[in-house]
Amino acid sequence: MMTCARVRSRLSDWIDGSLTTREARAVERHVTSCEGCSRHAVELRELGRLLAGLQRLEAPEPIAGRVLDRLEIETRQPALAFLFRGFSAARPFMLPSLVPAVLVLVSVLAGVLALDSGPLPEVHFAPGAWRATPASGTEGNPLFPSADVDLPRETTAVDLPTDQLSGSGEGTLFLETVVARDGSVADVTLLAGNAERAVAVVDALRRQRFEPVRYRGRPVAVSVYRLISRVEIHAPVT
Amino acid sequence: MSAGEVPLVELDALAGPARDRELVARCRGGDPVAFARLVALHEGMVFNLAARLLGDGEEARDVAQEVFLQVYRRLGRFEGRSSLKTWIYRIVVNHCHNRRRFWQRRGRDKQEVLDERFAASDEGRGGWAVSPYEATRRRERADRVQSALLALSFEQRSVLVLREVEGLSCEEVAATLGIPDGTVKSRLSRAREALRARLVDLLEEGVR
Repeated sequence: MMTCARVRSRLSDWIDGSLTTREARAVERHVTSCEGCSRHAVELRELGRLLAGLQRLEAPEPIAGRVLDRLEIETRQPALAFLFRGFSAARPFMLPSLVPAVLVLVSVLAGVLALDSGPLPEVHFAPGAWRATPASGTEGNPLFPSADVDLPRETTAVDLPTDQLSGSGEGTLFLETVVARDGSVADVTLLAGNAERAVAVVDALRRQRFEPVRYRGRPVAVSVYRLISRVEIHAPVT
Repeated sequence: MSAGEVPLVELDALAGPARDRELVARCRGGDPVAFARLVALHEGMVFNLAARLLGDGEEARDVAQEVFLQVYRRLGRFEGRSSLKTWIYRIVVNHCHNRRRFWQRRGRDKQEVLDERFAASDEGRGGWAVSPYEATRRRERADRVQSALLALSFEQRSVLVLREVEGLSCEEVAATLGIPDGTVKSRLSRAREALRARLVDLLEEGVR
């Protein structure tokens, strides 16, 4: 007959089912006849239930987006993180903030080119250039869907000719559609994927029509991203 | 389409080790969509394990990020002797262990109310909505359990969480931590006894 101390040192293994048949039988015999060890065993089992019953903890937003953001920096791969950014984390201000940068770059380049080809030019960092910035929410500077800006709803569905896309991976297309203020498609840009294979899909996407999206009562142009593979066509991702 | 899903159509038809192998092969081939899929598949378990080991959701999120960056860098060295899951678990435990040491040096060892802020909602998993009283009682219990876990040594806590919370087998725990089966069993036994002693009132209530 096993002593209580020996039995208790084996209860954990007994619960895990990792005792030999002989040892297990000896423990069982003891437990059925010893009230203290029996209670101890029941409590250990209850402890297992308590731990297994703990709720799963979840990060408030998907970690994938953050990881891919970091990898973009590390490996300089294109903006895959867009796929994983949560709805609320969409960056409505990214595009507007890029515009001045591009303008400066263009004026400097223009200056450099002009310098190359003749007498010293007058370089215009003209404030007039700012007037050329399309207003936010127009086709040239669309908004991104966010908490305040709804995803455009399709009114004219089109069949996407996806049979040309083979498999996933290189057969996957990542596209940006700019939905104009009247619900038509202002522009479709292929961000990733095979350009030749994308032609038919891009044509089809251009024929889509949407319910105009409104922001603070005004119709606005909205930019949506889509990921299209041969078999599945996914709703726009933001 | 929910945020973390990427269509890797053929991959989803596979299961277990075959899927892992294919996923790892594609990641090594530089397919960013495959890596995104790998993260989406494992981020739940990575965050949960880190949060239970550290007792802090913000830290757990940082650790989860670091873990996946390390996974990305080390995929070339993944040999497939252990499953992808245990391999990732191991990286999580190592990162948490390092953080833990860092904290202790800094004298920072607070605990936050984890289960209140980060618990996955019951509704989302098809569970029953419970009364506010019941919800509070459950949270308090979860809080007691989490505090008791944090009072264990890191070694004891990691075996117990991997075994009982994450549901790994003893062999998988041994593979994850890189220690012999026997050591897992003796640590488990001591961890269970220590936790039982701290939670004996809860356990009696549960048994009744």
